[in-house]
Amino acid sequence: MNDSFRRGAREGFRAFLPLSVGLIPWAMVTGVAMRSAGFSVIEAIGMTLMVFAGTAQLGTLPLIVSGAPLWLIVTTALVLNLRFVIFSAAISPAFEGIPLLKRMMSGYLLVDGVFAVGAERMLASKDRDWRFGFYLAPSLWAWSLWQVFVLLGVLGAELVPQGWSLEFMATIALMTLLVPLAASRPMLVAALAGGVSAVALRGMPLKLGLIAGIMIGIVAGFAAEHWLHRRRAA
Amino acid sequence: MIEGVWLWVTFALIALATHLPRGSFIVAGSRARLPATLQRALRYAPAAALSALVMPDVVLEGGELDPLNPKLAAALAVLLIAARWRNPWLPFIAGMGVLLLLRKGLGW
Repeated sequence: MNDSFRRGAREGFRAFLPLSVGLIPWAMVTGVAMRSAGFSVIEAIGMTLMVFAGTAQLGTLPLIVSGAPLWLIVTTALVLNLRFVIFSAAISPAFEGIPLLKRMMSGYLLVDGVFAVGAERMLASKDRDWRFGFYLAPSLWAWSLWQVFVLLGVLGAELVPQGWSLEFMATIALMTLLVPLAASRPMLVAALAGGVSAVALRGMPLKLGLIAGIMIGIVAGFAAEHWLHRRRAA
Repeated sequence: MIEGVWLWVTFALIALATHLPRGSFIVAGSRARLPATLQRALRYAPAAALSALVMPDVVLEGGELDPLNPKLAAALAVLLIAARWRNPWLPFIAGMGVLLLLRKGLGW
């Protein structure tokens, strides 16, 4: 807890604070959605502590409710989390010289927002303690916000009257994540191809259409990128 | 619906499927590098997966294609608003507003 760590923590927290507000509705919706899916309060809290990931929690919920096979649920979660492999790879040089246990904790805490705000500045800094502070403070803040507001959603779900189609809030939350992603042309192609294929292949057994749709989306996005690149080069 | 011990097993596996990707390179350190092509292809996974989860929910009604349903109207409102404004609450207010108006107000 030296001076550079504290300075990094302060700066990291300040950089992330405005963006962190966006976690609040999303966390509350996740809490309500888990209760509407039929989880007990303990189960909902347990899932949030163990998984700590809005996309994976919301994305697997409909599969858990419909009794989909375990491997499909886990594969879906894995696909939704593949972006973290890329974030993790991109930010890993900033963790050089930081002990293993702290690196493992940092892995558990990795979220989109902190990566988006902090990665570049962290990679540019030569001060190891400053970097760790700059990462840890906003990450712990994101973790606390998430846990508190999911809990509020879990407990508040009872107050919301029945028959208000609240389960649709999970779909809205997933869409608000999708919109900024689909900003580039190849990303839009990936999203459209993934969605349309998932609809077209819905008749496949074991909900395999979902995985097939995702694969088609990835291939389509990658192909669109190449095609656009070639056309621009020509 | 998965229940009891199996639900907790499911949570544990979802947690694993979340924290292995998160920790991967941070924990492995500079010894490991991801092939550039794979890295580029993987960038499309979240967009494809999110859309594959959302689209069937908004265009299907009881397993059948139904392009004129309240959920699709609400989804279009959400997409327009989320693309236009950065306020995190607006998409929820607009989406639920449209859905409830159509379902409760107009009995669609």
